[in-house]
Amino acid sequence: MPGKHLARWTLSWFASALSFLLAALALAVPFAPAPGAWLEGRGLALVHLLALGWLSQMMIGASLQFLPVLLARPLPWPWLSPLSLALTGVGTILLALGFIGLEGGGTGLLALAPLPLGAGLGLFLLMAGGTLLPAGGWRDDAGRPVLLALAALILTFASGGGMALAGTGGPVAISPEALPFHVGLGVAGWLGLATAGVSYRLFAMFLIAPDGGGRLRRITAGAALCLTGLLTLGLGLAGHWPAPGWLLPAAMICASVTAGLYIADIAQVWRSRRRARPEVNMRMTRPALAFLALAALLAPVAAIDGRFAEAAVFAALVGWLSGLTLAQMVKITSFLTWIQVFSPRIGKQKLPQVHELVDDAACRRWLGLWFAGAALGTAALLAEHAQGLRLAFAVLLVAALGIAREVRAIRRLAHLSFAARPPVLPPLFLPQLRMDPT
Amino acid sequence: MSQPPTHDLDVRPLLAAGEQPFDRILETVSALPPGAALRLIAPFEPAPLYNVLARKGFDHRTSQRGDGDWEVLFTPKAHPPPEAGLAPGSNPEAMFWPEPAQSLDLTGLAPPEPMVRILGALEEMVPGAVLFALLEREPMFLFPELSARGHEWAGNHAADRASYRILIRRGHGE
Ligand code: HEM
Repeated sequence: MPGKHLARWTLSWFASALSFLLAALALAVPFAPAPGAWLEGRGLALVHLLALGWLSQMMIGASLQFLPVLLARPLPWPWLSPLSLALTGVGTILLALGFIGLEGGGTGLLALAPLPLGAGLGLFLLMAGGTLLPAGGWRDDAGRPVLLALAALILTFASGGGMALAGTGGPVAISPEALPFHVGLGVAGWLGLATAGVSYRLFAMFLIAPDGGGRLRRITAGAALCLTGLLTLGLGLAGHWPAPGWLLPAAMICASVTAGLYIADIAQVWRSRRRARPEVNMRMTRPALAFLALAALLAPVAAIDGRFAEAAVFAALVGWLSGLTLAQMVKITSFLTWIQVFSPRIGKQKLPQVHELVDDAACRRWLGLWFAGAALGTAALLAEHAQGLRLAFAVLLVAALGIAREVRAIRRLAHLSFAARPPVLPPLFLPQLRMDPT
Repeated sequence: MSQPPTHDLDVRPLLAAGEQPFDRILETVSALPPGAALRLIAPFEPAPLYNVLARKGFDHRTSQRGDGDWEVLFTPKAHPPPEAGLAPGSNPEAMFWPEPAQSLDLTGLAPPEPMVRILGALEEMVPGAVLFALLEREPMFLFPELSARGHEWAGNHAADRASYRILIRRGHGE
């Protein structure tokens, strides 16, 4: 039936992702490696719990919800969603355990993890590609970066899987020389471009701004294409031919240019908004974009001097992508909860407004603390200060717990007066078996 | 068979005031509900428009009036070009529905406000009455609620995709 567009598993994706975030941060406080030692097992485990468990699962959950809404086209095979969720979750845990095994205990799990992970990501690619391609996504300003991101996800998985199997010496093994290209494709390609593409539409909607687009977005897409192309070339050469020395710096300059164009574009959307006072999710998006700018400045330097790489990746993953995701998660959860609970009652009784479900001041406080932690962590990595980095993870953990508590309060409609709350609340994060009794 | 709803536009006062009517005509056409026709009255035969509106999916029938002015009826083609087609889930008989009893301009509102206004307005209307609404984007969260409440709808994007038009006929439910 057309019209069933409230993706049922979105909040389950969010809940799983949030659990990965909290687990990764809780482990990072005691176990985070010192600056410069992140390529050891523990560091790799933490990075992938954040990149795959937290950020990728959030991105997948949000895409499965919003691609159909933004492209006005239903998701093919939506029942694959819970399967994909379970497989990516299990795969991420196995990968993390496999990385820890690198410090002693064998690498068996590292060779196993790519199976469930690949299956889970593959199912997502099937659903997302099955929405974007028939809708002519490459002709759309927001569709182009998302399609590039999906291609980058395939290459990230292939290169990561290949490196994971490097120890086994199998035929699909990829040389560790691929590492910087794997990181670039994962952070800038998959997570970065997908976030940018989805944000074009969402930000215009949240700010009530014209859905701009046009020339600037086409130029940005060109820079993004150049970025993914150079990273792919580097990946292809790794282990076979020595990559020319200019390749990685050139790719990182492309990344910075793409980021700069994107920020200029979003600044334009911000200025043309019709909502005089943007809501907390959009106001707290500005510090996240400042971290993107910082990462974009660090990236070309990191390509030449590896000491800056950890700080650049941290600023991008924690400051920009996680900060932005946390801010939007509050808004999206309140919106979906409102629709779920109140849409059957519209026009029949007086209803609370969406923003009444959210405690703005609390969200601002926790998000502010998140960005403080992200700034501290970036500085500690630049200054190679191990204690500072631990402290930063502790700050981030407290902030994430605060935001998780807010999300729970939103789902429980805790900020509404007792009278305004419905007698029966929807499940916290599992899908409702029947949407409504009619 | 009943006639599709027809909107009238008389451009003679505009021309008398020395203004170009072309933009106004295109604006009116863009804001037409799906399936609706346009009756244009002009002091000369507006031949250049025929091609423009044919591309937007309209046939024309021209006649000269008693007073010497021209009247052209633009009706949607039976098989309109794809971009003028109705969104999936639309009721194909919408062009035979009565004239909208109410129309709402909901551009510039943040979700879920457009949905709240539409469902609120429908509650006030009599069964069978038709509501027209102009929106900024396809209201994907509205559709399940319309079906749950037994209302019928037909909608599509304007040719430039900058807005979305929807006709909703109130159902006979409670
Ligand atoms: C969103 C996707 C991903 C992102 C953002 C990402 C990011 C990263 C980063 C930043 C590093 C360097 C870690 C450090 O410096 O401590 C890394 C290394 C690595 N990643 Fe990923 N990764 C992703 C997906 C994957 C997947 C799916 C696999 C395996 C199936 C994988 C396997 C590896 C391996 C084996 C290394 C270590 C390579 C070496 O040290 O030789 N990654 N990744």
